[in-house]
Amino acid sequence: MTTAPESGVRAIEAAAAPTRFARGWHCLGLADKFRDGKPHSIQAFGQKLVVFQSGDGKLNVLDAYCRHMGGDLSQGTVKGDEIACPFHDWRWGGDGRCKQIPYARRVPLRARTAAWPTLDQDGMLFVWNDPEGNPPREEEALPMIEGALDDEWTDWLWYETVVDTNVREVIDNNADMAHFFYVHLTFPTYFKNIFEGHIAAQYMNGKAREDARPRLPEGSPQLIGNTSVAAYYGPSFMTDELTYNYDRMDVRTTLINCHYPIDENSFVLQYGIIVKKQDGLDEKAAMEVANTQALYVRRGFEQDVQIWKNKARIDNPLLCEEDGPVYQLRRWYEQFYVDVADIEPAMVERFEYELDTTRPNEVWEKQVQDNLAAKAAAQGRTPVS
Amino acid sequence: MIRPDNRLADLPMTPVECQRCHATVQVRKSSWQQTSVQWDEAGARTCLERRSSPSGGSIRDTDFFTCAGLRESIAQAALSGEIPMVEGSAPRGGRGPAGAPAEERAVTQ
Repeated sequence: MTTAPESGVRAIEAAAAPTRFARGWHCLGLADKFRDGKPHSIQAFGQKLVVFQSGDGKLNVLDAYCRHMGGDLSQGTVKGDEIACPFHDWRWGGDGRCKQIPYARRVPLRARTAAWPTLDQDGMLFVWNDPEGNPPREEEALPMIEGALDDEWTDWLWYETVVDTNVREVIDNNADMAHFFYVHLTFPTYFKNIFEGHIAAQYMNGKAREDARPRLPEGSPQLIGNTSVAAYYGPSFMTDELTYNYDRMDVRTTLINCHYPIDENSFVLQYGIIVKKQDGLDEKAAMEVANTQALYVRRGFEQDVQIWKNKARIDNPLLCEEDGPVYQLRRWYEQFYVDVADIEPAMVERFEYELDTTRPNEVWEKQVQDNLAAKAAAQGRTPVS
Repeated sequence: MIRPDNRLADLPMTPVECQRCHATVQVRKSSWQQTSVQWDEAGARTCLERRSSPSGGSIRDTDFFTCAGLRESIAQAALSGEIPMVEGSAPRGGRGPAGAPAEERAVTQ
């Protein structure tokens, strides 16, 4: 991958993927799948976690290995509000403290394991990862999702898959203009990225691609285009309010695109979809829209995954003028890999990248020519061009 | 490690002052359609529209999508040639003379 500099060949530079994992909220999936009264084993942030619902209904996340003799709590049993180790039945509470040892008179001092702060919101379970061990940052609270758990909307349609590469590849996608054509199946007429604070937003208006429109029943309205307002809230959780504009109606959908790292070389990619039911779009039709959309999203990601599996990690991408703000997005993303005290202004200060094709080049050109002509006239001569 | 955008080596960003409130931001246009804007803390503090937006300029509620005054100032600066554009994307004869009066070429959409 490296070549002598005098050859004029550009070298691909790539440091090893960081072994530190991003600070922030990470979605572990739909909350309901953890509510079966059993402990669940999750590989995340380079370690093994146990997720369990305690008797009080709360979902808890602990380090999976018992601090007594290293038993795997995710192979244990939920007993009341505690998870019991399969090795010697030590009982651990959701707060990480050992509550009881059935065969001992008292629990030793410092019997405390790592507990992750959790958030059970909009039907999803989130954990707060923080290498510094601080509680969740208030300013990074996750937004409530309109329509989630609402009868007016469909239930979550949810997919997850393991991807064997570093998470940075999926983040890069956010600034990649071209992927709208392939993943979101539209011709963008307007595109804007705004990176500021812990949010990386992406606004897009597009015209429908004839070959890829959500299928509605016979005699349905015609699809004209769509508008999308998407944003990463923190390092791993993106919501996309995606509205399909038909000639007689708008179909509102919300797409979630999120992930959590398994280790520095793999992650779990997840996406979820809900669709608003409305006049002309009953439960069945809304589910059909959700299914069709999910299919296209899945195909898009499958193409991405195929690329990711085989591509090189690259710290110095050679961008052309038509590419999106990949470097600025990575600069924003870096804030989650340093201590809070080390966040640099450049990582969080507002950056905007806009592409507006609704005003054609000819309009700009004409205005420039008019200006030059007016200036020349004022100076009493004809413009030189 | 934060690396610089390789495209900035060909054409760096140019400061543009808002005609309305005199907030200064860094701007780069690769074409007539494309605009990049880098804010800093001083610019954000000065911008009137940003300060008066309900969220105080946060993109969380998407109510500070853009500053109209700044948008217009950038368009004017582009038309008058104050913002250099990447070679090849400027229209024929479009590199307007720098410092040309901007009043008559307000761009609004």
